[in-house]
Formats: sequence, C-alpha cells, structure tokens
Amino acid sequence: MEEQLSRAFLDSLLSGRPGSGNEPGGLKALRARALERANALSVPTTRHEDWRFTDLSPLYRLSLNAPGTSVPLTVADITQHLVPGVAARCVFVDGHYRDDLSENGLGTEFVTVVRTGGEDRKVEPDVLDEIGRIATFDEDPFVAVNTAWLSEVLVIHLPRGACLTGPVHCLFVNTQADVVTHPRVLLVAESGSDVTLLEDFVTVHDRAYCVNAVSEIAVGANARVRHIRLQRESRSAFHVATGAVAVARDGRYESNAIATGARISRHNLHVRQDGEGAHFSLDGLAMIAGRQLADTHSFVDHALAHGTSRQLHKCVVSGGAHGVFNGRILVRPGAQLTDSSQESRNLLLSGKAQIDTKPQLEIFADDVKCAHGAAVGQLEPEEVFYLRSRGLPESLARSVLTYAFAADVVDRIPVPSVVDHLRAMILERTGIQELA
Amino acid sequence: MSTALKSLIDQPYRHGFVTDIESDSVAKGLSEDVIRLISRKKNEPDWLLEFRLKAYRHWLEMTEPTWPNVKYPKIDFQDIIYFSAPKPKKKLASMDEVDPELRRTFDKLGVPLHEQAALAGVAVDVIFDSVSVTTTYKKKLADVGVIFCSFSEAVREHPDLVRKYLGSVVPHGDNYYAALNSAVFTDGSFCYIPKGVKCPMELSTYFRINTQESGQFERTLIVAEEGASVSYLEGCTAPQFDTNQLHAAVVELVALDNANIKYSTVQNWYAGDENGRGGIYNFVTKRGLCKGVNSKISWTQVETGSAITWKYPSCVLLGDNSVGEFYSVALTNHMQQADTGTKMVHIGRNTRSTIISKGISAGGSNNSYRGLVKIGAKADGARNFSQCDSMLIGDRCAANTFPYIQVQNDSAKVEHEATTSKIGEDQLFYFASRGIDAEEAVSMIINGFVKDVFTQLPMEFAVEAGRLLGLKLEGSVG
Repeated sequence: MEEQLSRAFLDSLLSGRPGSGNEPGGLKALRARALERANALSVPTTRHEDWRFTDLSPLYRLSLNAPGTSVPLTVADITQHLVPGVAARCVFVDGHYRDDLSENGLGTEFVTVVRTGGEDRKVEPDVLDEIGRIATFDEDPFVAVNTAWLSEVLVIHLPRGACLTGPVHCLFVNTQADVVTHPRVLLVAESGSDVTLLEDFVTVHDRAYCVNAVSEIAVGANARVRHIRLQRESRSAFHVATGAVAVARDGRYESNAIATGARISRHNLHVRQDGEGAHFSLDGLAMIAGRQLADTHSFVDHALAHGTSRQLHKCVVSGGAHGVFNGRILVRPGAQLTDSSQESRNLLLSGKAQIDTKPQLEIFADDVKCAHGAAVGQLEPEEVFYLRSRGLPESLARSVLTYAFAADVVDRIPVPSVVDHLRAMILERTGIQELA
Repeated sequence: MSTALKSLIDQPYRHGFVTDIESDSVAKGLSEDVIRLISRKKNEPDWLLEFRLKAYRHWLEMTEPTWPNVKYPKIDFQDIIYFSAPKPKKKLASMDEVDPELRRTFDKLGVPLHEQAALAGVAVDVIFDSVSVTTTYKKKLADVGVIFCSFSEAVREHPDLVRKYLGSVVPHGDNYYAALNSAVFTDGSFCYIPKGVKCPMELSTYFRINTQESGQFERTLIVAEEGASVSYLEGCTAPQFDTNQLHAAVVELVALDNANIKYSTVQNWYAGDENGRGGIYNFVTKRGLCKGVNSKISWTQVETGSAITWKYPSCVLLGDNSVGEFYSVALTNHMQQADTGTKMVHIGRNTRSTIISKGISAGGSNNSYRGLVKIGAKADGARNFSQCDSMLIGDRCAANTFPYIQVQNDSAKVEHEATTSKIGEDQLFYFASRGIDAEEAVSMIINGFVKDVFTQLPMEFAVEAGRLLGLKLEGSVG
C-alpha cells in the first residue's frame, strides 16, 4: 500500500517530464540515469532517520501535475520582490524562464539558461559537466526527480577572477495550485571570482503546490560565493530543496537561508570541502507559526585539512508550528586543524509549538577544534521585565525581544535592501508595527 | 603521537584469567524449552515463566536494531549458552563455604567477599556467570529493613515485590535486547529500601563472566520507597577469550516520592585484543523511573571495557520536581566501539536533568555519545543542561556526538554544549617545561578532563575507577 502510494507520487512528479531534445550531450545521459534512479527509489517516511520529525504524507496525498499556462504576470505584479542594484535578475514563473520579467537576465555574459531544447548561449562543456556532479541523486528521490526533469537549468558561470558587484537575483514565482516545479540552478565560480547569489521563492496565491528545488554550487580556489536563500512560499505549499556545495582550496562559501513560508519545508544543505583551507559560514533562520513545519538538515563535510566552518541556526516557533534542525558536521580522517563551530538556538513562543534539534558531530581526526551548542527556551522574564520597566507594554516587550532574536541572523545578510525588507517582515510578524 | 603516549595507552588487561571451575551449563541455543529449563532449574513460580515466554515470543517478532554507530558481525543467538552456574550449587550458609577456587578468583580481582576485607562498609552481591554466589552484610541490612539479595532469592522470598515492579520500567518488549533478557535472564540483584530508610552502607554487585561462549543476562531491580535513599555500585570483569560474548542486562530503578537512588557503574569487561579480536558485547538497557514527586535518580558510569558498549542509562521524570542526572566517562582504545549516552524524558512539572559526558578515544576506537532530551507537552518549567566533551588521542580514532533535543513545551529550557579537544604535543611540552614528565602530564590532563564525573563517584569507586583509567591509559592516575 505504502509502496504504491510512494510510486504513484513519484510518478506524478515525473509526469509531463519533457522528453530529451537537442540538449548538450552529457545532459541527456545524466537525465536518463536520474530517471532510472527516480524509478528505483521510494519516498522517505518518518521511519527514515533523516525524516523522523518531518512527515511528508500530506504532500504524498496531493495530486500534482506539471504546470499548465501561468497566470499572466507583469513586472508590476512582482515589484514587491524586486531588489535594486542587482547584477542580473532572472525570473522563473512556474518553472519557466521569463525574459520579459527579467532584467539583464541573459544580457550579462555570466548567466544563461540551458533547456532540454538547447541552450541560450554556448556554455563551456566543463561547466555543463558540473551539473549533477555535486548534487548526487543516488539516495535522494527528490534530487533524482529534479535531475530527471532538468527542463530549464539556470547556469551562472563566473570565469577566473570575475567579480560581480550586485547580486544575481533568481526569483521563482508560483502562480498555480496543485502543480510541482523543479527549479535548478548551477553556479560555477572559478578561482578568484566573487559573486552573490540571491534565490527567492515566492507565490501570488495561497493554495497548495510543491517546489522541488536543487542548487549546485562549485566554488573555485580563492573564490567567494555568498548565497542568500529566501523561502516565502504560500502557507499551504510544500517546499523541498537541496543545496549542494563544493569548495576548492581556500574558497569561501557563505550562506544565509531564511524560511518563513510553506506548510512543510525541508532544506538540505550539503557543503563539502574539496580543497584545504576552505571556509564555510552557514546562517539560518526559520520563523514559522500556525501549523507550519520548517526542517533544515545541514551537512558540513570537512574532508581535508585546515577547513573552518561557522554555523548559526535559529528557529522562532509560534502557534502550533514545528521547527526541526539537524546539523551534521563530519571531520574526516586526515582533516587536521579543522576549526568548526555550530550553534542551534530556538525560541518557543507558544505552548503548542515544538522543536526537535540535533546537532551532530562526527570526528575522525585528533588535532581539531570542534564545538557545538544547542539551546531551546523562551523569552527571558528578566528581559521582558527590563523592557516593561522602561515603559513598554508586555506584548510590545515580547515582540521587541523576538525581533532582536530573529534580526540577529537577518543582519548578517550582505545585501542591504534584503536586510531592510526582511526586517520589515519580522516587524510585521512580531506584531510591532501594529503596537507601535 | 609520542612514543611515551603510545606505551601508556597499551596497558594489558589484568582480569583476563579463566577460573577452572566446574560449571553446570545448559546446552547452547535458545528455544521455549531452554527457557522452561532455566525456569525449572531456578524453581521459579509460573508467573515468572509466563513473563519469560511472553518476552520470548515478542522477541521472535522483533528485528535486531541497526541504528547504532557500531559494527559487528551478526550474532548467532543459537550459539550462546544461556545458563551457566558454578558447581556445586548447594545453598551457602556462610562465607567459608564458598568454593575456595571461586574465592581465589575474587581475591585476584580485588573484590572483598570477606566481610572484614579492605573495602569494609560495602555490602557486595557477587554474580559469577549466571548465578549469584554470595551476598555479604545481609544481616546488618536486614536490621534496618533493607532487602539486598540475588534476584533468584528475591523471587523466592519476596515474590510480591518482584512481581509488582519487574518490567514496570523496562517492559518485556521494550527493545530487542531487553526482550531477550526478559526471556532468559538468569540472576542479578534485587534491592528494596523501605519507606524513610537511608541505606546505611553502599550496596555493590560484582559481575563476572567466566565460561566461554556463555552470555550473561542479568537483571537488576532497585526499588526505593517514599523518602528512602540508596547508593548502589556495580563492577564487571571477564576473562580473555578470542570469541565474543554477549552481555545483555536490564537494570530497572523505581524511585517513589522523595526517594533518592544513586547508581554507579565501573564497567571493565574484557575489551578484546588490540586487533579487535574477542571481547564482550555489552548491550544493556538501564532505565530509572522517578515515579514520585521530588524523587531523584543519578547515574554515574565509567565505561572502560567491552569490545562494544551500547547503552543509554535513562531517567523517566514522571513525578513533579523530580531530578535526573547522568555522569559518564567512556574510554575506548584499540578497536573498541562505544555508542553510549542517556535519555532524559521529562513528563512531570519542574523536572530537572543534568548530563555530563566525557568521551576519551584512543587507538583505532570509535566513541559516540548519543543522547535524547525530551520535554513533554505537560512538563512546565522543565530544565536540562547537557555537556558532552570528547578527547581524541591519536589520529585513527573517532569521536561522535548525536544529541537529540525534542521540546514540546514553551516554558522549558534546554541547553546543550559539546567540545572536542586532544592531548597535544604542545600541552605535553608545556608540562615538560614545568619539569613534569609525559606520563604524569597525560595523567594530569586526563584527570582534569574527567574530574566532573569522578567527583560524583562514591569514594571507594573513585579510587577503583581512577586505577582503571590508569591501567587503560597511563599507569599512575589515582
């Protein structure tokens, strides 16, 4: 029975998958392999250790289709999501690239879309070969399905030494209910380059749909990639995303992942050290309420020596929401002088809210510095009292403290306009605007 | 790694001798008949046989768990001797009647069977393979109403108490090895502290596996009535064999209102040789139930032996204001594997728990801390603090932490911290520059590392534990 449900669901994800056209050589074979894997795997249930706290069965019961004709959108409809000063803006509506909504999209030499029907601009074969190299799909049905689709891949390629001043903004808009989309981004930053990638998942309605996103990022030697990820899906949506990152010698990868939307969201972030001395910084914030569930599974793989990583993940959980965090740090044999720290901090704002957190250290080298910490708590009564003694009503005092807790992560985002926008959003969510 | 350090961590196992003593064993293998035979040999009442058979039938339907971070070849449960007792098995009236060979064994192990022995003031129950050999200081304990005897004796003398509490904390089908234990357990200790009594001395059980190919499945049950308090110690050794032996024990603690149980373990089963041949598989279920208000259960463990250690002494904090504590030092060397930690399940209001875990891995060993802190929806004001520190000696070993934190109450407060460090050449150099040689330096660093746990051990045990770490690691701790 369960097996049937799993099969039926995966088949529905694969239905409408575009057949192979004249896409570049390697891709055809990759899609075929992924399809084979997707047909062999079954969907995870709460009996899988990695999915113990995240029950996707409501998703499996949805009947999903490939997107049909999108609601007509103009730039005016998405103004609220626009970010000034971007190097490029690429807008995807229901999984399809829309040149009319994009800005500088394919005008910049760094960005292109590879389609099953061919590519918009010639992409170097080396770069194309990166697709599917970092985001492995052997065990993960969602990544396998995404790779089997690959109908439109956004490829961002920074050649050696190239630096972009503004972020590359990828806006994924959903306009239809009961559809599933498979956004795919490949970012290749060659040695010495510097780029900021802003991925933004938004919607124009509040019904159920599913997004199954995969982002692959290859950071070259001495290159720096800053990756901002905003998940603002509808409260009825399901969002499953995998970020797979490989960092070469002395490269830096800095991530800020903010999740506020979706009924159930799952973010897998796998960062792997491909060269000595790589640095990772992973910041995350999940701010959820009602019956939402936000799950973050991060995996930092210190495969080689001299790596450093810093991670701060915060959950603000109110209503009957459920926050899940699993942060795995692996220090492989020989990865000496690794310096790694991780912090999971969680704020429970209501009696029905729930947190499951599991920081996980696995160390196979002896000359390392590793620390992790996890805390679950509520607002300190002393702090609330202090603010009340300054004349703030209790509700405002609580809101101010909640805001401060969440803003800590948001303030680390390197794009000022995004920071302002998120701050305003948190203010609204904590109810300060109404009170002040 | 410096040569000094290397020689320090390669100390031999001193309890590895075999006692040549005639034993009465049942044939290898497990079936309902074997269970009936064990039960008959022990003259057990029908309800206990029923309990065993229920557990056995349940066990048959369970599958062996694979989630722990340990690797071992599949255990053939039909290749184990489930009952082995030293002969002759006549009732012992006094210490003098204990088989002299057996007494020499325990003399060698440094366990005082004699009541005037060095560790005077500790009542000892001694379990040799499957059977309790002797219990000391019985009379003195009986004067204050404390029952401390072997499990078989408790079944005979105090069936109502045993029946009431057996399986109340660890049900017969709790997990794979607990079910197996419930089916075939042979002996163990029973301890009952009546209302308001503070046990006048430390209670202690000494476990010894002697027969090759035998498994040890003992069962310990400790009940502290209202306002009672007790401190209980447990020690274990086994001889050196090339084959692996299974040790699957179950320990149940019940603390009623205002009761206090302190349970300390120094586990030094044979760990196998440096290539990982032989050694004990120590798959143990230990759980305490803080049933009453203001009750307290404290686990302290020093795990140095066993080829594989896999146990999670847990506290179920049911009573309001109850307290659970877990202090652990787990040392692994050579090819040893340990997946150990605790579970603190907060159910009652204002329950508190503390977890201090120190893992030391050396050689090619693998040491994992796995812990669960669960705060139920009704556990208002619950509080937990956890700290897990690991120390790595050498670059072939592994240290892992898997803390699960599950919170369903917004007034709860949970903190978890973990760090990893090593004994570095620079630290040894610092000591050397102060005129302290490597051996002493290592001893001081380790002592400092485990101090938080050792201060929790009863005095007599702290000495033994220190000596053990010394044996395993550096020779002169203590």
